[in-house]
Amino acid sequence: MIRVGSFLLVVLVGHNLAAQTPKRQFDTKIAPLLASRCLECHSGPEPKGGLDLSNRERAIAGGENGVSIVARKPDESPLWKRIEADEMPPKHPLPKSEKEMLRKWIAEGAVWGTSTIDPFQFTSDSRGGYDWWSLQPLQEIAPPKVKQTEWLRSDLDNFILHQLERNELTPSQPADPRALVRRLYFDLLGLPPAPEVIDTFVNDPSDAAYDKLVNDLLESPHYGERWGRHWLDVARYGESDGFERNNVRKNIWHYRDWVIKALNDDMPYDEFVRKQLAGDIVENGKDGAAAVGFLVAGVHNTVVGGSKRMKLLARQDELEEVIGAVGQTFLGLTVNCARCHDHKFDPIRMEEYYSMIAAIDGVNHGEREIPRPEIAPLLADASENLKDLNAKLNKTDITARAKILEERKKNAGATPKPDRPQPYVSWEFEGDLKDSIGKLHGKAVGNARVENGALVVDGASFVETGPLDKDLAEKTLEAWVLLDNLEQRGGGCITVQTMNGGVFDAIVFGEREPKRWMAGSNGFVRTKSFAGTEEAKAAAEPVHFAIVYREDGTITGYRNGLQYGSPYKTGFQRFKAGESQMLFGLRHKPANGNHFLTGRILRASLYDRALTPEAVAASAGVESSFISEKVLIASLSEEERQQRADLRAKIDAATKRLAELDAQAKEKVYTVAAGKPGAMRVHIRGSVTDYGDEVAPGAVNAIAGVEGSFGLAKDAADADRRRKLAEWITHESNPLFARVIVNRVWHYHFGTGLVDTPNDLGFNGGRPSHPELIDWLANQLTANDYRLKALHRLIVTSATYRQSSAMNQAAPAKDAGNRLLWRYAPRRIEAEVLRDAMLQVAGVLNPKRGGEGFEDVKIVPNNGTTYYEPFDPEGEAFNRRTVYRFTPRGGRSAVLDSFDCPDPSSAAPRRSVTTTPLQALSLLNNSFVLRMADHFASRVEKEAGKDTVSQVERAWQVSLGRRPNDNEKQLSAELVSKHGLASLCRALFNSNEFVVIQ
Amino acid sequence: MNQPSFLDRRNFLNWGISGIGATALIDLLRTDGRCADEAVIRHVAPRAKRVIHVCLVGGMSHVDSFDYKPELEKQHGKPLGMNEKPDIFFGKVGLLRKSDWEFKQRGKSGVWLSEMFPNIAKLGDELTVIRSMFTESANHTPALFFENSGSEFNGYPSVGSWLSFGLGSETEDLPAYVVLPDERGGPNGGASNWTSGFLPAQHQGVVFQGGKRPVRDLFPAREIPAGVDADVRSFLAKINASHQERTGEEELLQARIRSYALAARMQLSVPEVSDLSGEPQRLLDAYGFERKETADCARRCLLGRRLLERGVRFVQVFSGGPIAGSPRASWDAHESVKDNHTLEATRIDQPVAALLQDLKQRGMLGDTLVLFTTEFGRTPFAQSEANQIGAGRDHNRYGFSVWMAGAGLKPGFAYGSTDDVGWKAVENPTSWHDFHATVLHLFGIDHERLAFYHNGIKRRLTNVHGEVAHGLFA
Repeated sequence: MIRVGSFLLVVLVGHNLAAQTPKRQFDTKIAPLLASRCLECHSGPEPKGGLDLSNRERAIAGGENGVSIVARKPDESPLWKRIEADEMPPKHPLPKSEKEMLRKWIAEGAVWGTSTIDPFQFTSDSRGGYDWWSLQPLQEIAPPKVKQTEWLRSDLDNFILHQLERNELTPSQPADPRALVRRLYFDLLGLPPAPEVIDTFVNDPSDAAYDKLVNDLLESPHYGERWGRHWLDVARYGESDGFERNNVRKNIWHYRDWVIKALNDDMPYDEFVRKQLAGDIVENGKDGAAAVGFLVAGVHNTVVGGSKRMKLLARQDELEEVIGAVGQTFLGLTVNCARCHDHKFDPIRMEEYYSMIAAIDGVNHGEREIPRPEIAPLLADASENLKDLNAKLNKTDITARAKILEERKKNAGATPKPDRPQPYVSWEFEGDLKDSIGKLHGKAVGNARVENGALVVDGASFVETGPLDKDLAEKTLEAWVLLDNLEQRGGGCITVQTMNGGVFDAIVFGEREPKRWMAGSNGFVRTKSFAGTEEAKAAAEPVHFAIVYREDGTITGYRNGLQYGSPYKTGFQRFKAGESQMLFGLRHKPANGNHFLTGRILRASLYDRALTPEAVAASAGVESSFISEKVLIASLSEEERQQRADLRAKIDAATKRLAELDAQAKEKVYTVAAGKPGAMRVHIRGSVTDYGDEVAPGAVNAIAGVEGSFGLAKDAADADRRRKLAEWITHESNPLFARVIVNRVWHYHFGTGLVDTPNDLGFNGGRPSHPELIDWLANQLTANDYRLKALHRLIVTSATYRQSSAMNQAAPAKDAGNRLLWRYAPRRIEAEVLRDAMLQVAGVLNPKRGGEGFEDVKIVPNNGTTYYEPFDPEGEAFNRRTVYRFTPRGGRSAVLDSFDCPDPSSAAPRRSVTTTPLQALSLLNNSFVLRMADHFASRVEKEAGKDTVSQVERAWQVSLGRRPNDNEKQLSAELVSKHGLASLCRALFNSNEFVVIQ
Repeated sequence: MNQPSFLDRRNFLNWGISGIGATALIDLLRTDGRCADEAVIRHVAPRAKRVIHVCLVGGMSHVDSFDYKPELEKQHGKPLGMNEKPDIFFGKVGLLRKSDWEFKQRGKSGVWLSEMFPNIAKLGDELTVIRSMFTESANHTPALFFENSGSEFNGYPSVGSWLSFGLGSETEDLPAYVVLPDERGGPNGGASNWTSGFLPAQHQGVVFQGGKRPVRDLFPAREIPAGVDADVRSFLAKINASHQERTGEEELLQARIRSYALAARMQLSVPEVSDLSGEPQRLLDAYGFERKETADCARRCLLGRRLLERGVRFVQVFSGGPIAGSPRASWDAHESVKDNHTLEATRIDQPVAALLQDLKQRGMLGDTLVLFTTEFGRTPFAQSEANQIGAGRDHNRYGFSVWMAGAGLKPGFAYGSTDDVGWKAVENPTSWHDFHATVLHLFGIDHERLAFYHNGIKRRLTNVHGEVAHGLFA
């Protein structure tokens, strides 16, 4: 391996050591040594042994054992003696060179520099400081001068060639056109080129033809699928929760689709990032919600222990997971390493970590229902239609009803009156707010009062009871109400709610639809339109309204004892004794907005069961006029009966249609459930029981060009926090932002980044092989409005990219890892590309884009835990590109797994590339591969006919992009004639040429 | 570059413990270039060369098996009388319950072991029992992950993967790390328990099943006429060779060519090692092949020994399947320890004892480490109402027992202890990080130096913790 570090030395250590003053020497040499070796114990409010070495005065004063440093006399200085004896630092004695440096410092007078020591001031051998290369502003660097100018195609090449020439290496010749097209296809689309495409380019390998090809590929929708997959690796995108339960995360794929589309649309990278951090804040609807899927794409612990400590710890783990992803993905900073102590390697303080945690403290895992705009008008039509039909039915029934009632009058007394049903509790409002069971007495809030046997509420007052003494499952709410006016919107007559109003069911007037009754509920989760008639009378005379809630989710409304519109089915809510209460005149707590009713409530009741239509009628006092549907139908003539049945059928169909549209009206998206951030304090040593100072939302201060402070109050809202965080990260003066993405893009084009740790540009990460090139590329990116496609174009049209992958026997001795890019490094294609390429070559790739993923694992729920068992399903639906595979955590798929497809339990900014016998076995024997070989054979047979030689030629062209040579042709023909075409196809899938890009 | 030894490609000379016979795999490794540098991680002479790990799923009761508590017998029926609210699973703290098994002193060493494992108990003089384990979670999956990878979360490499990464394999024909799940199914968390996490895929555990295809994709998924495979392979070898010659490419292409040769050898070696028909009947009987209850574990223990013999580094034998479901298929004895543990112990007692003896007779126990562990123990009090002595016990993360054997350990020895009733570890409390540090030490590896860079952190099996329990060594 080359010593990349030596290239850097010049950049990193620009100081002339000889010219340093003793003070400067202390700052650059001794202070970092003390900081990295001693200050962890010997600083802070309670330094070990009372000895504080971070500050000049205190260090000189010494500790519990007296003076520690005697200037000019190391041998009399306890500090030196204990270090020399390897007693200090405990367990990790200092290397000789550092010992010598300390001794010399004391001997020369122990001159102190800056006091107190800021351990982050300078980069040392063991950690990075504020002067760390990646934290410095972007440099405007002109392409360096080089000798072999004829090799150059772009300014980019100067940087590469410059380093090669300095190391006496020569770049490679251009790749042959065939290899180049294949490389470009795999790189940009993740698919092999069709033989015809290759031939076209081979026949005209001009720069113009190449540029056109590049442009065409960048415009292909497959581009977003290929590069989206890269991004999903970084975003630790997985479709289950991980941890113990590992439940399916059905609706996170919206994020995957959003990423693919954004890349295909060439959304500027800064916008791409801002939306992933705060898209839901700036943009309503699905796109914003899908984009912030990034924040919650990682694992989520849904089994949190019962104790408060466990809950707090789990929340901190969750936040660390998110901020770790944010820091590493966008800035190449491992901020998550500063959770329990200041960062050991980069200049990031613990306080800054908690400021960043505060910035995302409003982020929670969750799901949102997003209206589909295209469904809304259809839904309105269907609702109108149902209303019309209900009105029609009403009209025909009125006549029949009148007739029956007329009959009944004649036979008065013949039918016994049914008993009024017994409520569980009832409020008569006769003189007081007391109830019938003597426990749920009402209490007036505001001007609510009882007058003439009615509760009077004035649009600003209400009555509430104490907690229910009984769990409620099925129930009926009813009230006799006289409204002040019919124009009011949203007041509640009778409500059962949890004590804070978070969950409720209520009889509500005019909220969603003017002048109509509805079953109100929290967030409308159990509310749909009854599609009943408009209220005309309730302001003139009392109306009885009742709502029956059944356990199967059916909710039925009754007005004056008759069914109101159509019942519907929805979720079912239970209310717990002790945690629920009743309200009158208020839809739900809190008491504000349009929650109030204006009018009189004459009586109200709660039943702990679902009343029958007959019982509702009896309670409404209309039992004498109650007519069951059965009786009504019996009274009709045959023709009327038929007409009514037809109308009924239409109503049923319309109800069904409405329910269907209702189900489609909203789309579930797994996304950020924004919450209210709490006060954030430093957690000492990461503990959730030991707190330090409170911090305001903010970020890291060590990056030149951007302020760590957000200027936000400590109690700022989630939206402000995340907006500021997004601004800070994507700020044009934040040098890490552009450096990280150009390095990442480079990494995917060449197999290795200019920094070989794409998620870490800090001290612990790799050193840049071409630091100036990173800055030059970063400047190009910003100059091109952060368009990634422009960056791709710049890279793939360069001579560096277009050079041959042929081995240069002399080069490895100087640069075995090809970090200087003396050739294009050949590499094995990734697992997904391999699968996609087989599908493509077999002629069965299903190009369907987006939507729910295909499942090649069986989802086996077992007592709350979900298991994923891989299997090999057949059919077109499964022949889609692998990026559309349902990817649960721990859901291993044989071929993908053995070819290093990472489990999404953590981010995979750089995949490992292994070659193992198990890989060979998978590719030879797996049922998917064998099936694809069969399809491939059928395809070739179809295209090349029965002639073996033609078949052989076609098979080679389709899979490897070239004609076989004579020897290959002969070997292939032998194999085909002996074992059939599919055997050749299987072998070609296994060939090195198929799985290696050159 | 800072700390280059962890990030550099290794210098491919010293590979296995023996340092020989690994040239082929070296080629494979060259393509990823990421394997620990033995010179860096080694710090003492290794005592162990290989491991067989019997991993009990569900939580074995220590106070009924390996941790003798006479005081618990005296306190039977009394309340534990603690002030805190313990972090157990169901939260029901019943009265103290004495062991359902009789304890006796065993062998020359006089180590106390119960009758739960009558056959293993006879080998008490071989065991090194740790009676002072504790862990962080009282939930099965995180606790099992912790036991296997030193982290409660998924995505971290397991012990077997770390050993494979650190030491490689001693055989070309078999994977370094083989997993033998219970016939009743995989443990909770499934493959995440033997994942290589962020280590390269070659270090993950490879599951060996029973039947004709012990390893996934070992043979074509459907019947392919005889001779076809050989011809396909020969064709492949030829076109790959000429392609390699044309390109002059060494590492990547040769590694792939070699991988096909090794795959072919695995097709022979895997069925060979899995074929137990050549083993003498008396040995099969000793392992318990003839008994319905023991047959599954007997097969896996014997297979484990054969794998170890052929150079596999780490064999993991699970005792217990999925944690959920009824009837229970693991050690999770919430209802009745007596019933559940009798059933589970019967399944493994004879096979594991036979394995120990077999290893000993073959002279392998000296450098083979046998591990017998469980994710946590069970409470000394019953899982029942506060005034009752129920038959089941809840999870106990504060104290439990595991044992090791072989490989330079002090035999017939019990290390550490819990309090008088077996509730919490008090003497030599031992965490999984300590346990893992100790296991690595037995391989001569410094647990602080076996590290892999991942997303900004040099990850270790022991995180930033772990103390080697030197008291365990002979």
